[in-house]
Formats: sequence, structure tokens, C-alpha cells
Amino acid sequence: MVGIALAVYPLFGTGYGVRAMLQLFMWVALAGSWNLISGLTGYVSFGHVAFFGAGAYAAAILIVKGGWPWALAALAGGAVASGLALLIGATCLRLKGPYFAIAMLGLNEVLRVLVSYFEGLTGGGLGLSLPTLDATVAIYYAMGAMAALVTLVAYVIVTSRFGLRLMTIREDEVAAEALGIDAFRHKIYAFLLSATGPGIVGGLFARDQGYLEPISVFPLAMTITMIVMTLFGGKGTVWGPVLGAVTLFVLQEVVWARFIYVHQLLFGAIIVVVVLFMPRGVLGLLQLKYRLPRTI
Amino acid sequence: MNVVITPAMVGQVILSGLLAGALYALVALGLALIFGVMRVINVAHGPLLMLGAYTTWFAYHRLGMNPYLTLLVSMPLLFLVGALLQRTLVFRVVDAPELSSLLLTFGVSIALVNLAQLAFTSDLRSIEYIGGSWMVGSFAFAKSRTIAFGFAAGITAAAFLFLQKTRLGKAIRATSQSREVAMVCGIDVQRIHLITFGLATALAAAGGSLLSLIVAIQPEMGQVWTFKSFLVIVLGGAGNYPGALLGGMLLGLVEQIASLFLTTQLSEAVAYVLLVLVLLVRPAGLLGGRQT
Repeated sequence: MVGIALAVYPLFGTGYGVRAMLQLFMWVALAGSWNLISGLTGYVSFGHVAFFGAGAYAAAILIVKGGWPWALAALAGGAVASGLALLIGATCLRLKGPYFAIAMLGLNEVLRVLVSYFEGLTGGGLGLSLPTLDATVAIYYAMGAMAALVTLVAYVIVTSRFGLRLMTIREDEVAAEALGIDAFRHKIYAFLLSATGPGIVGGLFARDQGYLEPISVFPLAMTITMIVMTLFGGKGTVWGPVLGAVTLFVLQEVVWARFIYVHQLLFGAIIVVVVLFMPRGVLGLLQLKYRLPRTI
Repeated sequence: MNVVITPAMVGQVILSGLLAGALYALVALGLALIFGVMRVINVAHGPLLMLGAYTTWFAYHRLGMNPYLTLLVSMPLLFLVGALLQRTLVFRVVDAPELSSLLLTFGVSIALVNLAQLAFTSDLRSIEYIGGSWMVGSFAFAKSRTIAFGFAAGITAAAFLFLQKTRLGKAIRATSQSREVAMVCGIDVQRIHLITFGLATALAAAGGSLLSLIVAIQPEMGQVWTFKSFLVIVLGGAGNYPGALLGGMLLGLVEQIASLFLTTQLSEAVAYVLLVLVLLVRPAGLLGGRQT
């Protein structure tokens, strides 16, 4: 029912409304993707926005220089992000959890530097402009599809053996390996999956915005938001990121976006509170209290 | 890149590297202490450095203090801040999986940076106290960096003396070697955690205060320092305190040498590449460290 409501919304929603829902879908997809690696395997990715930015730039370049249709370009963005994840994962996933996290912290900086460096291709600091096209409604559906897809993938993984193995890695990697789980391969798969979503979504975002510059697609704030949404909702669960994304997005739009530093500050505070008092997020609390199934 | 590299340039670059290295070592020592004693990766280390820089700025501009004297203000002040952080928040995650402490300090770091942005705005501030360089032969010693080197070296040396010679210092080292045995020896581990975190924050603050005379001050200035401090620890070997010294010097040198060959933009990526390389090739660090 909710699905039908969402599907017909653009017919009577306002421009702002459609835009807002579009963004909400984007956040659901982003948070859900972050959850795939960080929630399930416990390998916290502090640089996940890198995949979003990479996908955005890849798609934008294909649209501008190659004249690709935006849908295809977005998918290509996802492919590029996956490739990037493979590269990064092959090197960094061999590291133990905390080391991986710190390495990912540095990733943001590196990508921003690289984008500025390859100015000819990316337009550097001046930014990259896409030919104007009003595709807001189409992108609304595309983002919605992505949000649904990511949640579906999460569900499939969480209820599968693959997911169980990932979670074993999270709980105790050494024991997992002793059980015969090839941790590295599993981590890579999860990482690749977690990067594709942001890549595609980044491409869609690029089309929707019509203009890219390094600072707009690689902000730390985006990683932070992804993290807070998933943590708050419940990492490692299927609907946790969705819940977190909806709640925090609504709060953001209604209350905080006016005072950008206050809202980031609150995000920081929320992270602290969640880590200390509800490490499994809101959904985790509900799971405990009402004995909900693990695979929610 | 048709730059002819003369020996003089190399010499200058090595010099700059060493000058920068001491500062890296100072700040990284703090992070190393926290990691060694509590197994906590303090992502908030950089923002705490930033607070030290702002303390100096305010003390200089509002109270007219000599910027170098403000070390006497920023260090104790941030010691208290660090101790407070530890006592209220960090102590709860010391025994939790490392992930929790990572996320917690990450949250704290975001909060600190945004608090600073609210309180101080993102406007760049600076302290124009001492500029220019001393010339020794054909080598330029930037005054502010050289003095910073002196203080950093002094404070780091003092920290090492403290760790080696005093009872408290030895207690800290004992706790970082083995918490259980330290407890059996009658060391109050909770107190040691508190003091260590405070001390580490004070070291970061010292770094920040010295840095405030060299670069522009802004709320985001600390974040790259967290990363670089971590890199220094990895270079020197986690849990190895003298290793932090070596790592700091090495990072300073590598960055300066890289700037000879790369554009300034690319050389920012050098630290990152170095980290990945070291973690892949020799994760135990150059001085071997301990198995963590």
C-alpha cells in the first residue's frame, strides 16, 4: 500500500515534495548500502561517500563527454564504483577492522585530490556542468527503485547463508576463519555490493543536480549521515537503515537543515548515544523487547 | 616535471622534513598512548588539537599572552577536557569491541568540530607573531617552524622522561603492556586511563598551540592530523612509544621529499598511500611494535 502511494505521489505532489522524496530514497539506498559492509561485517567504512562521488563523476563524464543517456550512465557509475571498491578492498580489506576504518578515513581526501588533479576530465575545482534536462520525476522513480533494490538485497543477504557468514566475520573473524570461511573473499563481495548502490545513486544524483564539483560529492558530512542513519535505525538489520533514513531525514528537513552545524552536531551526539546505549539501534531495541525475528 | 633537483634543495627538504617531523611525533605520541594503554583509537584526537590551537588564539588575541606561553594554558586546559571525555564517555567502551570506541570517538570528533564551527565560525584565523626565516648557509630555517620544533622536541623529551623515570610514567607503561598484571601489581587502572587520556590530549593541545603559529586556524584543521597521527603510529609500530618518534620524523621527511616531485595537491595523497603500503608490507611497523 505504501508502495502504491509512493508510486503515484509524483502525480499530485509538489515540486519540492517530489524532490524531497527523491532525496529520501537516495538516503535509504545509501544507508542500506553502508549497512551491507559495515553493519553486516563490522568493517566500518568511513569513506563510503567516495563511491557516491566516483559514481557521480563517472556518470557525469559519460553524459557530458560521451552523450550517454542518464540511466545507462548511472549504471556505469555503479560499475565504476564497484571497480573502485575492488581496488580499495583488495588492498584494505586485508587489514584488521580498526586499520581498515582509518584507511577509509583517508580515502575521502585522496579522491578529492585526484578529482582536482585530473582537471581536464573532471573540470577540477570549477565543476562539471551537465546539459540541462528536467528529469526529476523519472529520477524519483529511479531512486525509489534503488532504495527498494538495496533493501531487497539486504533482505536476501541477511536471510542467506552468505549473510550468516558475514555476521560471523563480524562477531569473531578468527573463529570464522577457523570454521573455514574465507573471510577476505566474503568481505570483498560485501564491499563490492555496498559500493554499487552509492555508485548508481551518485550517477542519478549527478543527473538531477546538473552540476558537480568535488566538494559537493565528496563531503564527509555525507558519510556521517549514512553512518548515523544506519546506526540509529539498527545496523545489521534489513529495515534499520530504512527506519533511520526516514526518521533522520524528516528531522533534518523539518528541524535542522536551517542550522547546518547544529544538525551535524546532533548527529555526532546521536552517534555517541547510540554507541553507548543502543548499539543495535532502534530496531535492535525493538527486536529485544518484542522478540522480533533477527531478519527484520 | 623538468625540475632540476640540486643537493641544496634536497638538503632544504630534509631540513623541513625534520622540523615538521617533531610536531608529528608530539601529536602522535598522544594517540599512541591512548591506543597503547586503552586500545582505543581516538578519532577525536585531531579536533582536540584544534581546540588547543583555538585556546592559543584566544589567549593571544584576548589576553595578549605570548603565544608560546599559552602552552601553559592550553596544555592543562585540554588535559582537563581529555580527562572529562574519558571519565564520561570513553571509559564505557574501553572493554567493548574496538569498533565501538572507534564509532564513539568518531561521534565525539564530529560533535567537537561542529561545536567549534558554531562557536568560532569557519573563518580562518591566524596568529601573526613571528615570521621570516633564519639563514644558515644556504638553508632557510622558517622561524615559526624552528621554534615549534624546539618546543615539540622539548615536550616530547619531557614526556619520555616522565614515562621512563617517574612512578606514574612507569605505571602507564605497565598498564599498556598488560592491564591484568598491572592491576595485580596494585596499579589503579581506572586512574591510569584517566590520566593517560588527559596527558595525550595535552600533547595534542601542545601540537595545536604550536601549529596555530604556523598555519591558519579553522575548525576542520584537526581532522587530517588524526589520520597522520595514526599513520605515524603504524609506521613506528603500535604500542611502541619511541616508534612514534621515528614514525613522526619519517612522515615529515617523506612528505617533504614527495613535494619535490609531486604537485602540492598530490603530495596530500602521499600520507594515505604510505599508510596503505606500510599496512600491507609491514603491519607491525618499522620498530616491530607489539602484536595487537
